Amino acid sequence: MAQYSWPVPLRRAGSRQLWRYEARRAGWAAGVAPPAALLGAVAMALLAGNGGAGRRQIGNLLLAGPEALLPLAVAMTAVTMVARDGCRELQLALPTRYAHTLGRRLGVLALAAALAALVYSAGLGLSGWWTGPDPLASPLVWAPPTIWLAAVAVLLAVLSRSVVLATSGIAGLWLCEQILADALVGHDWTRPLFLFTTSRVGTGEGWLTNRLVLTLTGLLLAGAVALLLRRPHLLLSEEEE
Amino acid sequence: MSELLAVGRYEFRMQARKRSLWLTMLILATVIALFQGPAGPRYLPADATAPEVMAGWALLFGIVLPLGFGMVLADRLVRDRRLGTAALLESLPVRPGLLLAGKYLGGLAATALPVLLLMVVAGGYEAVHRADPLMLGWAVLAFAVVMLPGLAFVAGFALTCPLAISAPLFRVFFVGYWFWGNMLTPDLMPTLTGTLLTPIGDYPASWLSGGLALFAGTPGWLSFLRPEPGAGSALLSIALLVLFGLLPLLVANTVLSRRRHAA
Repeated sequence: MAQYSWPVPLRRAGSRQLWRYEARRAGWAAGVAPPAALLGAVAMALLAGNGGAGRRQIGNLLLAGPEALLPLAVAMTAVTMVARDGCRELQLALPTRYAHTLGRRLGVLALAAALAALVYSAGLGLSGWWTGPDPLASPLVWAPPTIWLAAVAVLLAVLSRSVVLATSGIAGLWLCEQILADALVGHDWTRPLFLFTTSRVGTGEGWLTNRLVLTLTGLLLAGAVALLLRRPHLLLSEEEE
Repeated sequence: MSELLAVGRYEFRMQARKRSLWLTMLILATVIALFQGPAGPRYLPADATAPEVMAGWALLFGIVLPLGFGMVLADRLVRDRRLGTAALLESLPVRPGLLLAGKYLGGLAATALPVLLLMVVAGGYEAVHRADPLMLGWAVLAFAVVMLPGLAFVAGFALTCPLAISAPLFRVFFVGYWFWGNMLTPDLMPTLTGTLLTPIGDYPASWLSGGLALFAGTPGWLSFLRPEPGAGSALLSIALLVLFGLLPLLVANTVLSRRRHAA
């Protein structure tokens, strides 16, 4: 049974109120997880610095914050936001499409992630620790892997209706990309889908292709999620936190 | 004691019936077994000993299965609080510490059950593949000494940490920690990899296989936690992992007791 909607006249103030409400529904983890992941990267870089790591190594660790840790944090948080909704039955009875409600909620998370990444990149740039591409292209370090991993996470959450399955799947995928990095970079067909190209390989040949492929496939996966959410009743019967 | 067993049994039955637990472990184990690469236990030479082969499987499964294990247990106590059943359970004539211990033991046993069965399946495969029925026995032993202490360690943190930082944040930090503290090479940066406190079971696996499994004892940060691999250091690693897994439970029990008294 598909969910149908009809236009509800909302004033600008009402729309703002809706966004504020969804920000509260998203929970404090949505605002805290992205900056916490980036702070984790800074902590690791400090640890490496104390351990005698070179400047290049520290720079790569700092770059791994937005490219590796931020997507993981966003994907994990997104799964919880999709799977945990105490009043989903009520949401389905409202004229607003559930996909729009969920989209606004995930939008809050995306905004928090983007703001955190921009502030982090600017901070690294100003302090002279930015080792990534040109500052104008810096969003390409974090946006493509974040879009891709978050889209996979939401797709898994919608298909499995299980936080455990979706978060374990994302954790396994992220870990396999880390430990099988050499193998993934070594094959022509897996290289464009490697998530951590900037921090593990660099911004040389194939970097832009990798970023574009990740973005496009991520958007395709997001489109699949939007299609699945046309039947939001399939999300009922969740059991975990 | 009977109360502890009752709570543990209830927790075990509840957790073992969770479909997502079995599916998650099965999917993760299948993926890692299929993509294990030439260094995996499936490709060990035909004359490899049974302990070496099964330690290899335990280490291979130990890369990803504890991730699913932690994800499953992360919502256990948080969910009790969200649904309001925690207050109901606290009203029972069972000491809160005993309740927590029962949940820990029952949760650990139920969540480790699929891991044990997967090791038995791997042992069965190797028993046929290498025509050595002893592989099955070594599979159980490898599970007990390589995997179980690490799972007990993870269970202590997975049950209690989400109470303080929420389940989603715990899951993010847990995955990051798992990579940093188990697989990141010690020469890259200060890490717990290769120490006695490595829950992937590096020391016991090195002891069983008779060689260096991953990074056990490799020079690095906290050198006093990096003795030479062997029987003694493997037993010490097992003891430390179990003890450190109990620490967060003790802290959580103290904090929750104070909160109850203050309420």
